[in-house]
Amino acid sequence: MNRVAIVGAGHSKFGRRKDVNVAELAFESIKQAVTDAGIDRKEIKNVVVGSAGGWYEESLPAVIVNEYAGLRSVGTMRVEAACASGSAAVKAAHDSVATGESDLALAVGVEKMTEVDTMTSVELIGRAGSYMWEFENYGMTFPAYYALYAVSHMNRFKTTEEDMARVAVKAHHYGSLNPNAQFQKEITVEKVLASQVVAWPLKLYDACPLTDGSAAVVLANEEVARRLTDTPVWIKGIGYSSDSANLSKRDDYLGLTASVEAGRRAYQIAKVTPRQVDVATCHDCFTIAEIMAYEDLGFCEKGDGAKLVREGQTEVGGRIPVNLDGGLKAKGHPIGATGVSMMVEITKQLRGEAGSNRQAPIKNGIGLVHNVGGTGHYAYVTILSRGEQ
Amino acid sequence: MTQEEQPTLHSRRSLTLRFDIPISRTREFWDALGEGRFVTTRCSACGNVSFPPQADCPRCMSDRFEWVDLGREAKLVTYTYVQVTPASFVNDDPYIVAIGEFENGVKVLAWLLGVSLEKAKVGMKLTVEARRSNEGNPYYVFVPSPPS
Repeated sequence: MNRVAIVGAGHSKFGRRKDVNVAELAFESIKQAVTDAGIDRKEIKNVVVGSAGGWYEESLPAVIVNEYAGLRSVGTMRVEAACASGSAAVKAAHDSVATGESDLALAVGVEKMTEVDTMTSVELIGRAGSYMWEFENYGMTFPAYYALYAVSHMNRFKTTEEDMARVAVKAHHYGSLNPNAQFQKEITVEKVLASQVVAWPLKLYDACPLTDGSAAVVLANEEVARRLTDTPVWIKGIGYSSDSANLSKRDDYLGLTASVEAGRRAYQIAKVTPRQVDVATCHDCFTIAEIMAYEDLGFCEKGDGAKLVREGQTEVGGRIPVNLDGGLKAKGHPIGATGVSMMVEITKQLRGEAGSNRQAPIKNGIGLVHNVGGTGHYAYVTILSRGEQ
Repeated sequence: MTQEEQPTLHSRRSLTLRFDIPISRTREFWDALGEGRFVTTRCSACGNVSFPPQADCPRCMSDRFEWVDLGREAKLVTYTYVQVTPASFVNDDPYIVAIGEFENGVKVLAWLLGVSLEKAKVGMKLTVEARRSNEGNPYYVFVPSPPS
């Protein structure tokens, strides 16, 4: 198998993007990624587009995006792994380079969630589980799924609403330092606690927003990567797993088994331990999700996730800085774009290009991307590295 | 110009989706529910019990199964109070959704009625009850068990 590197990264402004359609939005990232890589578009033979879709007018996003970007006759597909569609797109593109099928491949994540009204978006995400047994009669919503975990975690580990609020405060702090983030304002624990309940115990400020956005990465094999750049970011290992559609089939509601399994596989393939990770993006669609991710990925012991955020260990200067781009919570969560956005963020972090106030110290040259689809229905963990290790 | 002021073309075409969901292979579940019984499938080959009911065994792939009664009593495992409801639930008041565990370990997700959020507690005893929607479709809910 060939080694595979990220050699170009692009990222749109996230937010309510009423100024662009889905193809124009994707193009913002594609143009940046191709320019960053310093390649001719015609060298790209494979384009994988991650998009969940349903909330924008186009049914075939891959060909719509490719046509607009002048990418003709490429091998292409749209992939779906719910909120992990972006990581799935990177994996598919990665595999085509690793096997030698392509020298260069492009992974694009794009979502336009605000072309339908907010309650329709809430409905479409709420159906992301087992429609017949969870939605038809019971009207589950995305926050409601995670609230089932939050109640269980609070009950078992004494995690509090204040602990969860601290995750949101951290996210907004780093979001305010990231020009691409949807939210640019600092918030306080009090403001989180006073915000409207969406699915108790989760409140509006515990939840990621509905977001339009795109991100793209160019992947290359070792020979091409070395020709193109002095700072390739290697994909050292991808672990992925899944869990039952029905939440009622889960063993417990204290963590996401799919995350644990994806992490275990990724660490094993990359020959890396959690202690060696310099910087990470964790899937914080809700504040409780970030707390569980710390535990599921081995950044702390089970049940100690809240302690980690209370002690500031996941900020710059802490033991393991997490979501220095604002995370899904403040940067925004355009479903299919999120996984690719995380790859862009960790690529910038490992290159030392994240910006002075939100750059993690890079000691071992190891970064981690944790991307969950649905409520632990899918999970992808991708380990990236700078340098030769 | 702010994002909300950007010009958009409000599409002329709208789309309503309504699904006819096949239930033929496990229709006894819905029939039994209509009679007030709560049942599910047990594989006749390996004994695996599934909920939701399914005609093909996920453990051994056999398509031979029998119906078993789950009883009515469950224990509250976890819950939430859905205050912001989806578009198609716009006419419903906010609701508690619970996961209850039956004595044989089977877990079921359903509304929990007849109790306030403040009174709901992990571990409390629940009873499953059959209901019928305005459209005439059977469904099931949890209610707190009466004190024994």
